Amino acid sequence: MMKKTSLFYLFLVTMLAGMLTACNSEPQEKDLFFSEEEVAKLTADGQLYTINEFLDAYMTEKGHFVHNNLYRTRAIYAVSGMDTLYLFSIDTIPTDGPGIYIRGRVTTDDYGGNFYKSMVIQQVVGGEQQALRISMDAGNVNGLYPRGQEMLIRCNGLSIGRYANQPQLCVPSYNNNVYAQNAEQKVGWAPGRIPIARFKKAVKRIGLPDESKLVYEEITDPTVYTSHVNHSDVIAARKWDGRLVRIKGVHFTGEYSSNGTRTACSAYSSSASTSGDPEKDGNANVFGPTTLGVGYPQGRVIATDGDVPFIVSTSEYAKYAHYYLPSKISTDVKTFDYTAYSGDVVGILGFYQDNGTSAVKYGLSWDDWSVTPCRITDIQMEDETGAAWVPVEFSKSYFK
Amino acid sequence: MKKLFILMGVMVMSLAISAQTTLKGVILDEETGQPVIGATVTLANQDIATTTNQAGEFAFLYLEAMDEELVIESDGYNPMIELVSLKKDQSTQLNPISLQPDLSARHQQEVVLNLAEQEMNDDEGLSQDQNASLSSSTDIFNSLTSFAWSSARYRNRGYNNDDEVTYIEGLNFNSAERGQFNFSAMGGVNDASRYKESVNPLEATNFTFGGIGKATNYLMGASHYAHGWKVGAAGTNRNYKAAVRASYSSGPLANGWTFMGQLAFRFGPYTGAKGQIGEGVDYYSMGYFFSAEKVWGTRHRLSLITFGSPTHRGQSGAVTQEVYNLTNVYNYNKYGCSWGYNNYNPYWGYQNGKMRNSRIVKSFDPTIVASYNFKIDENQQLHAALGMHHSWYSNSAIQFYNAVDPRPDYYRNLPSFMWDGQLDKSGAYIQKDLNDKSLGQGFYNYYGEYVGPSVDAHSYNELYNLWTSRDDATTQIDWDALYAANYANNAINPNGCAKYIQERRHNDISEISATANYQNTQFDHLKMTAGVELKQSVGSHYKTIDDLLGGNQWIDIDPFAERDIKELASNIGLTQAQIELVKQNDINNPYKVIRDNERFGYDYKLLMSNAKLWYQNEWTWHDIDLYYAIEATYSSMQRTSSMLNGRAYYLSMLHESMAEYYLGHNGFQILGGERYNKYIGWAHHFIDPGFKAGFNYKINGRNHIKFNALAMTQAPMARDAYWSPRVHDRVITTIYTHDRAKNLTDYFAASEKIVGGDLTYEFTYPIVRGRITGFYTRFWNGTELNGYYDDEARTFVNQAMTGIDRRHCGIEAALSVKLGTYFTLSGAASVGDYSYTDNAFVVTTAENGMALGETKSGAVFELVDRVLIKGLKVANGPQLNSSLKLSFFHPKMWFADVTISYFDWNWLDYAPARRMESLYTGTCYDSEGNQVSINGGYYKIYTSRDVSIDARELDAEGNVVTDQYGTPKLIAPYNILADQESIVSSKIWNRFLIDCSFGKLIYFKDRTSLSINLSVNNITNNTDFKTGGYQQARLPRSTRQGYTEGNSTINSNVWKFPAKYYYAWGTNMYFNVQYKF
Repeated sequence: MMKKTSLFYLFLVTMLAGMLTACNSEPQEKDLFFSEEEVAKLTADGQLYTINEFLDAYMTEKGHFVHNNLYRTRAIYAVSGMDTLYLFSIDTIPTDGPGIYIRGRVTTDDYGGNFYKSMVIQQVVGGEQQALRISMDAGNVNGLYPRGQEMLIRCNGLSIGRYANQPQLCVPSYNNNVYAQNAEQKVGWAPGRIPIARFKKAVKRIGLPDESKLVYEEITDPTVYTSHVNHSDVIAARKWDGRLVRIKGVHFTGEYSSNGTRTACSAYSSSASTSGDPEKDGNANVFGPTTLGVGYPQGRVIATDGDVPFIVSTSEYAKYAHYYLPSKISTDVKTFDYTAYSGDVVGILGFYQDNGTSAVKYGLSWDDWSVTPCRITDIQMEDETGAAWVPVEFSKSYFK
Repeated sequence: MKKLFILMGVMVMSLAISAQTTLKGVILDEETGQPVIGATVTLANQDIATTTNQAGEFAFLYLEAMDEELVIESDGYNPMIELVSLKKDQSTQLNPISLQPDLSARHQQEVVLNLAEQEMNDDEGLSQDQNASLSSSTDIFNSLTSFAWSSARYRNRGYNNDDEVTYIEGLNFNSAERGQFNFSAMGGVNDASRYKESVNPLEATNFTFGGIGKATNYLMGASHYAHGWKVGAAGTNRNYKAAVRASYSSGPLANGWTFMGQLAFRFGPYTGAKGQIGEGVDYYSMGYFFSAEKVWGTRHRLSLITFGSPTHRGQSGAVTQEVYNLTNVYNYNKYGCSWGYNNYNPYWGYQNGKMRNSRIVKSFDPTIVASYNFKIDENQQLHAALGMHHSWYSNSAIQFYNAVDPRPDYYRNLPSFMWDGQLDKSGAYIQKDLNDKSLGQGFYNYYGEYVGPSVDAHSYNELYNLWTSRDDATTQIDWDALYAANYANNAINPNGCAKYIQERRHNDISEISATANYQNTQFDHLKMTAGVELKQSVGSHYKTIDDLLGGNQWIDIDPFAERDIKELASNIGLTQAQIELVKQNDINNPYKVIRDNERFGYDYKLLMSNAKLWYQNEWTWHDIDLYYAIEATYSSMQRTSSMLNGRAYYLSMLHESMAEYYLGHNGFQILGGERYNKYIGWAHHFIDPGFKAGFNYKINGRNHIKFNALAMTQAPMARDAYWSPRVHDRVITTIYTHDRAKNLTDYFAASEKIVGGDLTYEFTYPIVRGRITGFYTRFWNGTELNGYYDDEARTFVNQAMTGIDRRHCGIEAALSVKLGTYFTLSGAASVGDYSYTDNAFVVTTAENGMALGETKSGAVFELVDRVLIKGLKVANGPQLNSSLKLSFFHPKMWFADVTISYFDWNWLDYAPARRMESLYTGTCYDSEGNQVSINGGYYKIYTSRDVSIDARELDAEGNVVTDQYGTPKLIAPYNILADQESIVSSKIWNRFLIDCSFGKLIYFKDRTSLSINLSVNNITNNTDFKTGGYQQARLPRSTRQGYTEGNSTINSNVWKFPAKYYYAWGTNMYFNVQYKF
């Protein structure tokens, strides 16, 4: 009898031991989000740069990235006689040696679909905003590093480069997109996305995310930027790229811009014409209609009361891409009063210089500058009665 | 006068009886001394057979006097031949004959059961092949193959699991929904599966009509088990590491009751060892088995049986060869030969420094069976049984919302993704840019592989080294990062949806089944059997949250629908309010907040009813046995849901004429505000007939020729019947046709038709015995449902395949030769051709209702196509299997054997999405037959924006070259996109597996005994043996700019989504010790 009882207890004890070892304890916040003291310890082996210091120290005009003893940056965009100025560059950052650190707070959110496999970090130094784009190979990266998250990045082994003149933390990548328009002139080495495993290795979170600590640069006159269009301005303006801005007192004009010319967007018709159908017409009066597979962001014009224009940039993959531009829409959906709503547009400031085959076209025009909202709620407008703009999605049912 | 006749009659009868030549005996278990019930006893020369009764007794009457061979066979025992001399008109009473237990087979059966259980990975349709060949050892072929071939995932005749039927005490235990038996229900309690009757395919059975595959009936009555205790322990290096078990049987008690019980516990904590068998897997299982049997006199027997095995087990998953190579890189010698293990498992990671698996199966199948046998008289017998069974089966997985894909082996996380787009049309690295400038030299990675000059060596090697060094956060799930993401999300969005959770996907099944079986032998030479089987099943499918991983809550909306909402809205013009509804998994609970054990995602039931009537006549004469059997099966299925899914609502508007098939009977009322607890779908009813017949021609007592044939139809399984059961009620087209049948063809439009036959020659001599069987089976109109993420549509699509025709033909043979007293040499082989005989039909739909193409008249939501599978092989294990076994058995109960097996002709399962006819022709059709153009989406490979290569092979005249089945051939290297891949090792010696086992049974003076067994599988540590896997459905595509339709094309990186494989374990062992007292 004793023997049988012992067997029974043996079962019980073994079972319990097994079940207990199967449980895992939850990680503690303090182990995942670093304090300033831990940041100090981490950076003790090297130097913590500000973003601008980092750019000054490691980013060059032409880029030092050498592959097989050949520079492969895209000289096609260099202006004749100014071969020290490139739109695309890569500079490698030493892998070994002292740690090279930067820190910043994430200002972008890819949930809305307007940012894809990239983010922007912000660092406020002496009251001035500094910003840097980071390119990594993972969608929904804000799931790991949300807006407001401050992070410490060990840059050793990564690269700093410019893609269409936008500075970004990256790795060298050979652009072999043979499907692209003018592909013959675009292939070559360019800043590429950092593999997410590598990026995660480089990044430590500093504290919990806090959006309230983000700083917005308030703009009432967009010419502050759009007036900077010549070569020397562009070099200076690189440090403005990626800033988080609030453009105040503007309204959508219902226009897009083509090479600086403002043109009215087309509205959908219930007739056989497909004009204005955002799935087929890149000029439709929504934020981000189709690009017919090309994939560049679509620009829509906003303007101040004084009709100073600026571009709001939206990807066709944004969740709100097919929302009508803010306007009073007539009940038969045939007329749109764009002046009815005005207010602020919040987003990431930028310019983009990847403009075709002409080496002459090298400076910026006003419509190369843009603000990219993260989400539809970054369009904060109201009508004259104070009623907030309610976004309306394009639908063919309105035209039945 | 009358009395005189009676008296004379009695005297004549007495004389006749006394003048008979008879033989009687009793068969006992040598180990326990208990009678062996149901043993087959055959007189080889006179070709007469009988079975032993409850007391182990047998008797033959009216024999011819001669020297005879008495052949005794019983499942779980070594077959035995006794020589007896039968004297004319004498009654011979043999001394008790002791059968030696086949300890090796018993031991091996436990190993095979464990293998079958662990392969029940039925989550997401990616089930690994399950080997369930737990066959009777009385059949020489099965006894040789069931263990030796299990490692290679051999399937009997290449059939599917659901072609084999499993019964317990006469009750059907194949799942009505999944079609197969869940062996984990008996996990660990090896006594529950010890006694069974197994019937080879197509042969007559006593307990059911059967099917095209084998039929097994487990007998669990307590009287099968010898009185006493058994305690045992086992150790293994497989998924679990150790097991302990104890059982007790009362033996027959004076009051007619017999009781038996067994408890078992198997456990395997995380080992912490990377690269070892069972990497990242933990395992805990507690099994119980109780049986009580009451006998009243000689005519009534009642058995009450219950068993179950609550189990928690981590899983491992298939990965691509690149991942195996990366994680096994240090296990290659200088000659490039792998000597390590292909045991990488992507499903686990470290949390707080401790291992944690993300895919945990929890299963518990408590089962109760009451079985009653009534011997009405000498010629009539009735068996009835009632069973209840509830299966809790669930599997966990990480779910994520608007967050980075957490799978470490996701293709974008691998070094190979860095050279995506860097290959030329021949698959080589590009050496020059499009301006024809040289890119310089490439480099060699750590492993010595060449990487082209367009890949940055530094970045590549950094990632490569993270993999080859098996960096925890890179090569495994980074649990800590998932928690960090949720903690961060809590800080900025406390009421928002968690980024990551571990969800639990439930697939519970409740079944009540009943059977009655009547046997009548009142007519000479004829045994009549009639049976009825009833089963009511409810399959419950739903999700719950296992772990919020530090998140505050989960919000129950569909991320795919949310992302694609603008297209959904554009399609049919939804209002804002309607758009909000479409995103919801439950319209009645929009944005439902899930924090605890509430159900979310989907919550539906499949109600299934089955009723079977069957009748069988078996005639037995001296030279020939004949039988035939008929059956009629009624089955029905109906889906009900507790949630009204937003996509079902959307689809009901999109396809207004079919609205009720998305919303069901009362869906509109629910939408209209009326309250119902259930959303009730349509019921679908089927009646399927079956007929089989066969004969056994006895050339003499030693040589038999058998022929069996079967024809039947079989309704589709519920799992294959619905396009997207998680979302809506719409059934596949053939069932829709069946439901509205106007003629017989329509009526059987949904059912699979099966016709098969086999021819066997079997012989038994004292030294040598064997059999050879040729079989031929045709399946027509099979059904299969597949789902995958479609790169072009950028959403999850479902593909319903119908009209799947297969042919399974081949030869199986076995031979056993006794070599003196101690040794036996046996060989077995199965050579077959299991292939598809025609192309199938397929309808593809997006689960969220997105358009998949366009005609002139508008968007197309259901693409109708053919799948070019004619001539492809059925991926159900090797089609060439052979083994040679040398066995040693010493009467002092030592045994040992070594088996060398060779496997070949093994193919990977094809992906229907890669064999669509439209990929070869560029066109497919909508459901109305209108041609749908899918420009650029076919096997025309774009090497630049407007430069394409026709991947199809063309002859000198420019005509498309086809194979012998009419499928266009693709030129290399594009052929790997569509060709079915052989998974046989290129090195012939890696097609062999060698197993061995040893054992000893020690009897002590007090009749207690100790048995010790050790089996070692794959003793040469062959780690280059693929057992299965699957071709990924996803095709490599690139955006083609400037085109509104078909704007993505297949690109030249044909290696982008390679196949995923399972490998056989390297050397593995199972050691078992058992003490019986």
